[in-house]
Amino acid sequence: MNDLLINFLRETSQTNHWFVLLPEIALALLAISMLGLDLFKKSPNAPSNPASRLNTRISIIGQIGIFIAISCFGSAFYEENRVLFGGLLEQSEKTQFMRCFFVFASISITLLSDRYLGKFKLPKAEYLHLSLLVCAGFMLLVQSAHFILFFVVLEMVTVAFYVLVAFQRTHLLSLEAGLKYLTLGALSSTILLFGIVLLYGIAGNPEMAGFVQDGFQFKELQQFISLHPENLIVRLGALLVISGICFKIGAVPFQIWVPDVYQGAPTPTTAYLATASKAAGIFILIQLLQGPFLALSAFLIPFLSVICAVTILYGNIAATGQTNIKRLIGLSGISHAGYLLLGVIAAISVPFAFDAVLFYLTVYMVSSILAFGTITYLGQVEESTIELRDFNGLLHRSPFLGSLGLISLGSLAGIPPLGGFIGKLLLFWVAYQAGLFFLLAVAIIGVVISIYYYFGWLRAIVLRPEGEELVEYPLDSSPLLLSERCFFISLLTLVVILGLFPGLLLNLI
Amino acid sequence: MVFNPNAVNSAMFMIVVLVATAGLFVLLEAYFLAILQVLVYAGAVMVLFLFIIMLLDVDKGDDLKLGRRKLSLLARFFGVCLVAFLIFNSFSEVNLPSPDLGTVGDYPGIESGIDFSTSAKSFGLILFTKYMLPFQIIGFLLLIAMIGVIVISKKQKTAE
Repeated sequence: MNDLLINFLRETSQTNHWFVLLPEIALALLAISMLGLDLFKKSPNAPSNPASRLNTRISIIGQIGIFIAISCFGSAFYEENRVLFGGLLEQSEKTQFMRCFFVFASISITLLSDRYLGKFKLPKAEYLHLSLLVCAGFMLLVQSAHFILFFVVLEMVTVAFYVLVAFQRTHLLSLEAGLKYLTLGALSSTILLFGIVLLYGIAGNPEMAGFVQDGFQFKELQQFISLHPENLIVRLGALLVISGICFKIGAVPFQIWVPDVYQGAPTPTTAYLATASKAAGIFILIQLLQGPFLALSAFLIPFLSVICAVTILYGNIAATGQTNIKRLIGLSGISHAGYLLLGVIAAISVPFAFDAVLFYLTVYMVSSILAFGTITYLGQVEESTIELRDFNGLLHRSPFLGSLGLISLGSLAGIPPLGGFIGKLLLFWVAYQAGLFFLLAVAIIGVVISIYYYFGWLRAIVLRPEGEELVEYPLDSSPLLLSERCFFISLLTLVVILGLFPGLLLNLI
Repeated sequence: MVFNPNAVNSAMFMIVVLVATAGLFVLLEAYFLAILQVLVYAGAVMVLFLFIIMLLDVDKGDDLKLGRRKLSLLARFFGVCLVAFLIFNSFSEVNLPSPDLGTVGDYPGIESGIDFSTSAKSFGLILFTKYMLPFQIIGFLLLIAMIGVIVISKKQKTAE
């Protein structure tokens, strides 16, 4: 009996190659060291000094190290076609790319948050701790191939986001956003979990033909579903899982939380939600549709198409009347999720669409971070109430911030020489190849509408208002640091280069 | 009972419900789950609930409104019906279909992969081998929750 047991234990744990998770483990250790640093402050009761940048520096240097490690020596943490953790993890070149993507996003968020937290005198160590753990969670999320790992990681990320959203707790809007995100996030988790349980229950039922041992594992589930694509419970379960993920990416009809949460949350958190969270949701959606739910695509495509069309139209139309900047970004983010869904649907039949979606995600991430950076550096005032007119004449007041805003918004709107244009072009091209002509038409209408509000914003930045009195908006008193300038300039050049030479990134994916 | 105006009484009733659920788990031969239910929910979580109720000093609500009283009557009626149905079901010939739970050994799946089992030992065997990674992540989840509570509720002292 003892030998049998030892064999069993050895067998179940022999695929636990912890080394492939070294980047995630390093991020978690870095996160814990953030808390540890606070312990060694001179006097424990002394108020935290908002000007101290030690935490941020260590965090950024560590993350840059991890970024270089994954992007240059990625093969060390990468084992394709091997069962990892008994089928819990699955790696591919795409997941490697996403790992780099999330670390990059996290570095940018750390930079933004340093300025933001200093401005509002909020505790830095905890914020950095949470955002690092969220980054590690996202990296695990895209690699998970098992619903248990998937759900546990998703919950970890979501719980951390509840806190990050409500971080500025002295401010009512932030608290309100936290509460809304908490209740609606819990609701979406239950929907997702219910779907997973239905799938697990039906796939493990011995009465069904071809039932599987582990109904959580994506590959086994795929085998089972390909045998029973007509089964009602399978369909219901898949639909519930997709709904749960659609909540995370903010697709209609699960978009209600987006404007309020984006407005109330601290700006770095909003940027994190808009870029990394959306990217993770879209990536998971593609993986599910190409993996377990492949046999259901005939059933799911009509649903997704409707969601995609309504999302594009809703986001764009609702954004036209919006003057609050953060709500505007939230609503336009809904429409971007719609364009991405177009790529997701196309990816079921056209393999290249996956690359197009990843390209779009990257460009969207870089441009959004530039836009949020502009907001963060704009003024010393409360950021959730920044209106469109506060941008009036920004280019004259601060040429650097003004050009940041111009390039980022131009890229988001999809103006030709910039990266956003190529991203949209690639998405529309794959949609054309996949034969989604109706959705393509809707998306083009959406882009036309979006140009209206993006140009309203651009006009505000470029033109000095005449006739009416110029509202002098106090620019942030503390000047931009050299490192911040360098960072933003490199992001700017990235957006332009991606527009001129998209092949550079497409080769990497 | 959920409609009881006194919050402490409601919490007490909830403990009763949780213990009853644990009893159902025992009947399903899921002893480990039943123990967890009593220890974690009825024990730890409900104590926290009671603490908070007492800390916040919730006032006793007003007398039952008419609508609420009707609702609670309805709930009682359904409860009695359910009990009657269950008694009828267990003592009469016409049974609800009840699937047989096969007997499972202590070390399930040694011969044939991982199998269904209810004993605490097999939970441990699987949890610390195959599901080691999710187990660690749950640790981080709890850490995040703890940090979150501290951040949101601590007094902020800032240097000017």
